[in-house]
Amino acid sequence: MSRIGVFICWCGSNIAGTVDVHEVVAELRKLPDVVHAENYMYMCSDPGQDRIKNAIQEKAIDRLVVASCSPRMHENTFRKAASAVGLNPYLVEIANVREQCSWVHQRDKATATKKALNIIRATMDKVRRNAALEAIRVPLTKRALVVGAGIAGISAALDLADAGYETVVVEREAAVGGRVRQLSKTFPYHEDARDILEPRIQALREHQNVRLYTGSRVTEVTGYVGNFEVAIATGDADPVRETVGGIVVATGYRLYPVEAMAEYGAGRVPDVIDALAFEGLLRQSMDSGEPVRRPSDGKAVQDVVFIQCSGSRDPEHHKPYCSRICCLYTSKQAALFQEQNPGGRATVSYMDIRTDCKNAEEYCQKNIEEGGLLYLRGRVSKVWREGDRVALWTADTLTGEKLEVEADLVVLAMAVEPSPGYAEVAALFRASVDQNGFFQESHIKLRPVESSTRGVYLAGASQYPKDITDSVAQALATASKVQSLFANEELAQDPLVARVDPDACSACGLCVPICPYGARELDERVRLSRVNEALCQGCGACVAVCPNKACQLKNGLVVQVLGEIEMFTEPDLAEACG
Amino acid sequence: MAHDKQRVLVIGGGIAGITAAVDLGDAGHEVVMVERLPSVGGRMLQLSETFPTLDCAQCTLTPRTVETGQHPNIKLYTYSEVVKLEGGPGAYTVTIRRKKAYVDWQKCTGCGACQEKCPTKVRQNPFERGVGVKKAIYTLSPQAVPNKPIIDADHCRYLLHGKCAVCAQVCPVGAIVYEQEETFVQEEVAAVIVATGFDLYPMDALGEYGYGTVPDVIDGFAMERLCSASGPTAGRVLRPSDGREPRDIVVIQCVGSRDPEHHKAYCSRICCMYSAKHARLYKHKLHHGRATLFYMDLRCTGKGYEEFLQQSTEEEGLVYVRGRVSKIFREGDKVVVWGTDTLSGQPVEVEADLVVLAMALVPNPEQVELARVLGIPVDDNGFFREAHYKVGSVDTGCEGIFVAGCCQGSRDIADTVAHASAAASKAQVFLSRLRRRAA
Repeated sequence: MSRIGVFICWCGSNIAGTVDVHEVVAELRKLPDVVHAENYMYMCSDPGQDRIKNAIQEKAIDRLVVASCSPRMHENTFRKAASAVGLNPYLVEIANVREQCSWVHQRDKATATKKALNIIRATMDKVRRNAALEAIRVPLTKRALVVGAGIAGISAALDLADAGYETVVVEREAAVGGRVRQLSKTFPYHEDARDILEPRIQALREHQNVRLYTGSRVTEVTGYVGNFEVAIATGDADPVRETVGGIVVATGYRLYPVEAMAEYGAGRVPDVIDALAFEGLLRQSMDSGEPVRRPSDGKAVQDVVFIQCSGSRDPEHHKPYCSRICCLYTSKQAALFQEQNPGGRATVSYMDIRTDCKNAEEYCQKNIEEGGLLYLRGRVSKVWREGDRVALWTADTLTGEKLEVEADLVVLAMAVEPSPGYAEVAALFRASVDQNGFFQESHIKLRPVESSTRGVYLAGASQYPKDITDSVAQALATASKVQSLFANEELAQDPLVARVDPDACSACGLCVPICPYGARELDERVRLSRVNEALCQGCGACVAVCPNKACQLKNGLVVQVLGEIEMFTEPDLAEACG
Repeated sequence: MAHDKQRVLVIGGGIAGITAAVDLGDAGHEVVMVERLPSVGGRMLQLSETFPTLDCAQCTLTPRTVETGQHPNIKLYTYSEVVKLEGGPGAYTVTIRRKKAYVDWQKCTGCGACQEKCPTKVRQNPFERGVGVKKAIYTLSPQAVPNKPIIDADHCRYLLHGKCAVCAQVCPVGAIVYEQEETFVQEEVAAVIVATGFDLYPMDALGEYGYGTVPDVIDGFAMERLCSASGPTAGRVLRPSDGREPRDIVVIQCVGSRDPEHHKAYCSRICCMYSAKHARLYKHKLHHGRATLFYMDLRCTGKGYEEFLQQSTEEEGLVYVRGRVSKIFREGDKVVVWGTDTLSGQPVEVEADLVVLAMALVPNPEQVELARVLGIPVDDNGFFREAHYKVGSVDTGCEGIFVAGCCQGSRDIADTVAHASAAASKAQVFLSRLRRRAA
């Protein structure tokens, strides 16, 4: 018989406020193979962990259940604690009695207590059949892949290369530098974008640890963290193949097309352009020393109107989100316009002024006060051609007035959206995207650069719109994660993977195409299906599809899962327990 | 070098310091972490739930603090301060002052008996922000890492008057040391990451908001403590004056921020979001309560933030008034707020039971002195000055010394975590250059 130890965490009042933890312990102590049961205020605290360690040693506990929060929080904490005193970490199971019990049944303590007991008994049923397992150790290739050579990709690649790692950089365009190449000067110090970019591009091109493929695309990714196999189409006949241990995805953004905005003329009104096109006009003007001229007839612009939130913050028609960078660059564009066209008038239509990063508020205020920029709070409802000028309707929500404004040029601060092809990139790297197409980080607060796939990291505006400063910081963060990864000589993986019962396998092959990780293959010689343990993520798709019940997950056996379910379907468990 | 492994000093054990330290530790470098409070976790330890998902802050933080405490490559000096840095890039000697805890942490088992029996309740403990008490011997939280208490010398009866000594009597291992002296230790490190975080602009700098005369005017951290399930009220929002549940609350944004003439010129970046969060958490707890927020602009720029704001106004019924507040005063048991609605041009008067001020975010007061010790620059506002605004926000211009998080400029948790890993990357690159130079 097993010697099970069960620990119930109060999580302060989070669990104990709803679940009667004392009653749960009393019930559990009646079970024949429970050699220890107790509750404590915070099991994850140092004293809580010490209680577990002491009990394991004193009572020779050989199976451990911790009833606490989601295993995503502290499974690792308790596995480590058990491991420290010699109990195999795979003989530890977490019974989630917080997210799946106390938090959702706060109004019914009796039922919550009964349910907590059921969850714990179900988990005990599973742990009884658990096997002691060892982590799978796989070798590691210390070479990195960076996808996208904008400012984010370049920053990540340079740090990795400077740290001594070979870095493969793949850029879709013929030129590197991304969107920053299209910019004139940058906020808030009016530094020329070229001065920021050029030294970095040169460093990238000259770095002995960087292999740069421009005009190229990643077309295939197989393998897993530490050993991804990547095919790169370079335009030559045969794709280049590289093995890399870690991947940084930095595929950047584009502006939501003007054509998508019928209310602003859908791109058919001359002299209504997007913000990147205006950067080009500013650049031209700075290089030539001439004023900013409007595209239609080359006339020097006297009046310009900037419309912020074009396509942003508009859940009904366009994008629901804030594009984060437009308030800042619009203020900059208006200020630069006035430098280039002295005496020119710049009007900015806005909803809120969101200049929230370092020195940005001061910069924007200075532009308004010293530059005499006119900021109008309101949404522009319509833009059209009026003679050789552009007219628009807006409202000043501070005075309540309706306004009709005419201008020579209208600049739309279009919403930032993911680069085209993001869906293919996401599929290629098994990275998930959110409802807006931006790559999804694995935790919004604490894992902002980790994707849902281990070894694949996210940098720059492909994760969410961000300015150069934040894009670079995030890119360097991915470089840190890759360096931490590459400090290992081999990688340890959870051994909770599929295995095949050779006596039951008929080599029907159904498990091969169903596996999303390419972890299954048929060994035709012995007519058996094989599992590549390094690739298998333990998802269980093969288990579900196998007609012979030959596929099983280690420590997730069919009998274990069914056993757990049965614990919830017995007619009256409380009585059974009692 | 004196050590086979390259060592990095991380100053500050908040989420920035923890993130940098774990990255470096995972990369095989030894980390010496110095934290001025008795345990790691920083500001996030004080928080209730985090925007925009309203996840419990402790729940996401504790796996990180536990990892930090148990990491084989991280050496913790909590309740300690850096007082001197000598040497140069690649070979620094840091002197660390270990403050008097009045507890022998080697002997202490963290049983908690001293805290339980201590008869002195202290309302002035900065962690509880004036809305809760700590004992005169305390840990910051039940899950503190390390789980070791300190004695509050300003309030301990024995240290002040020579009477009491209850903690010494109940301590089963004799760990209380009233005559403990501070000590100084030196460590050799190759690089430094500074992650000393932030504070809030003190409310008493604001005459017009009635602080000091009006007890039910509190700052954002006090509201966090009131909302926190592990806080002094177990998550019930109760006003400090009489412990009643407020029926009407007012949240005032940009207090001390965006006000170049009187206070801070800059935007504090995080207040729009946490103010909406405060109002929502309050409404979740008191369904019939009313929450009014005064704002200048609504700056919800991060992922999911605009959506959070929309939900706040459309589904959660928060009332937003665009305008600044001119005066707050007490009338009976109410707090009266006078402001102007700049959209209608009309004056607004709200009678509230509780007022929460979203105070400007400022560097910790000790930061100027630390900058001098380390020889790195600060800007006009006292934040550390980055070497380059766009591409060098973690660099200080001093080789081998990097900055991370809010000590360089205001940012939310997600941006702080990314910034901290960025600093860790720069430190790792610096160390690998040193290795190659040595080889």
